[in-house]
Amino acid sequence: MALRDYGLKSERVLWTGKGPGVFETELGDLESQLGLSTVEKAIAWAQGSSIWPDTFGLACCAIEMMSIVSARYDVARFGAEVFRSSPRQADLLIVSGRVAHKMAAPLRQIYDQMLEPKWVIAMGACASSGGMFNNYSVLQGVDKIVAVDIHVPGCPPRPEALVEGIVRLQEKIKAGVPPAYEIRGVAS
Amino acid sequence: MVDHPARLLEVCTHLRDAEGFNFLADIAATDYLDWGGRGVAGYIGNDGGRDLNRPGSQGLARLPEPKPKRFAMNYHLLRIPGGGRVRVQAWLDEDEPVPSVVEIWPTADWHEREAWDLMGIRIVGHPNLRRILMEDDWEGHPLRKDYPIGGEPVRFSGEE
Amino acid sequence: MAVAPEKPRIYEGTRIPSPTPTLLAIPEELRDSEDLLQVNFGPNHPSTHGVLRLIIDLHGEDVVGLEAVIGYLHTGFEKNMEAKTWWKAITYPERIDYLSFQNNELVFVLAIEKLLELEVPEKATWMRMCLAELNRIHSHLVWLATAALELGAISMFWYCFRERDSILDLFEMVCGTRMHTRYFQAGGLAEDIPRGFFPEARKFADWMPKAVDDYERLVDQNEIWLERTKGIGLLSAEDALALGQSGPVLRGSGVEWDLRRAEPYLAYDQVDFDVPVYFNGDVWDRYKVHMDEMRESTRIIAQCLDRLEGMEGQPWIADDRKVVLPPREELHTSMESLIHHFKIVTEGYRVPEGEVYVTVESPRGELGCYVVSDGGPRPWRVKFRAPSFVALEATATCMRDALVADLIAIVGSLDTVMGEVDR
Repeated sequence: MALRDYGLKSERVLWTGKGPGVFETELGDLESQLGLSTVEKAIAWAQGSSIWPDTFGLACCAIEMMSIVSARYDVARFGAEVFRSSPRQADLLIVSGRVAHKMAAPLRQIYDQMLEPKWVIAMGACASSGGMFNNYSVLQGVDKIVAVDIHVPGCPPRPEALVEGIVRLQEKIKAGVPPAYEIRGVAS
Repeated sequence: MVDHPARLLEVCTHLRDAEGFNFLADIAATDYLDWGGRGVAGYIGNDGGRDLNRPGSQGLARLPEPKPKRFAMNYHLLRIPGGGRVRVQAWLDEDEPVPSVVEIWPTADWHEREAWDLMGIRIVGHPNLRRILMEDDWEGHPLRKDYPIGGEPVRFSGEE
Repeated sequence: MAVAPEKPRIYEGTRIPSPTPTLLAIPEELRDSEDLLQVNFGPNHPSTHGVLRLIIDLHGEDVVGLEAVIGYLHTGFEKNMEAKTWWKAITYPERIDYLSFQNNELVFVLAIEKLLELEVPEKATWMRMCLAELNRIHSHLVWLATAALELGAISMFWYCFRERDSILDLFEMVCGTRMHTRYFQAGGLAEDIPRGFFPEARKFADWMPKAVDDYERLVDQNEIWLERTKGIGLLSAEDALALGQSGPVLRGSGVEWDLRRAEPYLAYDQVDFDVPVYFNGDVWDRYKVHMDEMRESTRIIAQCLDRLEGMEGQPWIADDRKVVLPPREELHTSMESLIHHFKIVTEGYRVPEGEVYVTVESPRGELGCYVVSDGGPRPWRVKFRAPSFVALEATATCMRDALVADLIAIVGSLDTVMGEVDR
């Protein structure tokens, strides 16, 4: 059974009658190539549906991250409502905001304290690439120090955009795509 | 109000006690290296040479007024509850130190640390002069005009 | 109504630590004690508003030593703004205090207009005032939501964010985006006010006072809230002035100083509002100041809407073509407009030489912008006086005789936004 039979929905939420987009087609191909067993599929489904983020709000994007937990853009429907304060209990690190060089070391330390499997969403332009701050003090993209799975563009991204990012991450997980540190072969 | 750094403490004490400026709003340090080096600052005739009724009134180009020294420390003072603001400017050369006003207004503590950290202005008599915004072992003073802005060149997806 | 046991009220004299005003040093008698524990209240913590690091020395549960380490969000705004033209530089200040973004834009734009000696049309002034007050309510709502969340009153978070979403809907209607709206230009507003704004804003202004009453009903008589906020984090008026505090912290300590009243900018002298002042200098008073300010802001918004509804069809930006882009229809017919448009977009408008320090009452206090211009198309130096930077200097003084649990309440009540502190 392909992913769309499981109810893959990310682009179709917006337009009914639209066929699978690029993302879904690629995921479908990957999934058929990876050929997960039923047990692995079940584990991937469980991991993806209850992904717990870590409270790592740095700057403006953190405010929009807080608002996805609020009642209007409820992210609890997707299982990601429980924001854990301790990285040892979290599996998702949403880097929301500009990362100064001074903060890069604590960020890496928090990432190291998380247990595998772990995923990273770089939320906003500043976390993805340094944003509008191309200067001595801002790390130009958090993927220089951690392995990022999903980049969410925007300054700040709308809460719906971040929820879309989380949903796509969930679909990636359920398709069996390994977390970014395994793909890139970097230290986790 | 322009002032010589040696007399800064007297002036500030006088302002606080006699004139009642009990609130230090801000200490802003400015680096005037290469002031006027960017070319034209406006046109003689009126401010910025703008005169909507006479489109041809460009006049003669003029450069900005030269500044006495490289660095300026600006102390913005405010009088609460009476209102009224004053800016005290102390002009400094490259390595000239400025006395600390922490005894007069305790809020100057972090402002002066920031002036030291980002601009490299030495403050004499400050109890805790360390880097505040940059990392402790950072070299250089970022907000100076001869410090590069840093960052990376942006790669565009079309180029090879 | 005294539900909580009596706690010390305001103190005499000064409690500012010396020699370093911002460092609480361990007292002599405890220095060799074996009960001392140094804890790092690190940059990533759910209860500090952003990336603040506090190094605390604990003797049992008492906080005996405190040092605040900042800089974990230093972005080099001021250096970046020196490299951009005046028009492009307006996008930067918004991100400094990311909760009251339009106040930051406002102060920078006011500074540019003061240097340019540009006259702003009435409609723009009133709309700016309306948006600044909406922003103030937004900032206080997020403050209340997070401060209450940290003290355990989690329900406040949901309710405050519900109102916050209504405000952001209003912003989206007018400016096109929820946060970081970039709506103010150097002569007024970027675009005209859409017609659907007024009924929606009226609905919001009618609903908001009831919402504030709801919040007060939730926590004001809660014994836990009272015990955790009354008598905690005392700061006397002299200490507050000496430490450069402004805004709710200063007004909670008894000094009646509000820049909207004392040095009115925009059209604040033409609207009717009160300035709340409370005299005990503790966390409870600062909380009450925030709540009352939300009500006063709603009053101001209602008055702004009254005035704005009568200004339909008036210009929303100044007419000076050397600074303001001409309307697009003119570009097809007028050569001068085309040249002006070209020069403004490529080189940028020139601001005459000078230096100016402009202040605005942001939700946190006195937000100041010191701008030095050399007459060129780019700023020479821009410095922002951030109220949160100064508020953090007061942590050591407020933290005398505090327990670890009070630390969170006190840091929360100072309403700091780390983007502002680190710039």
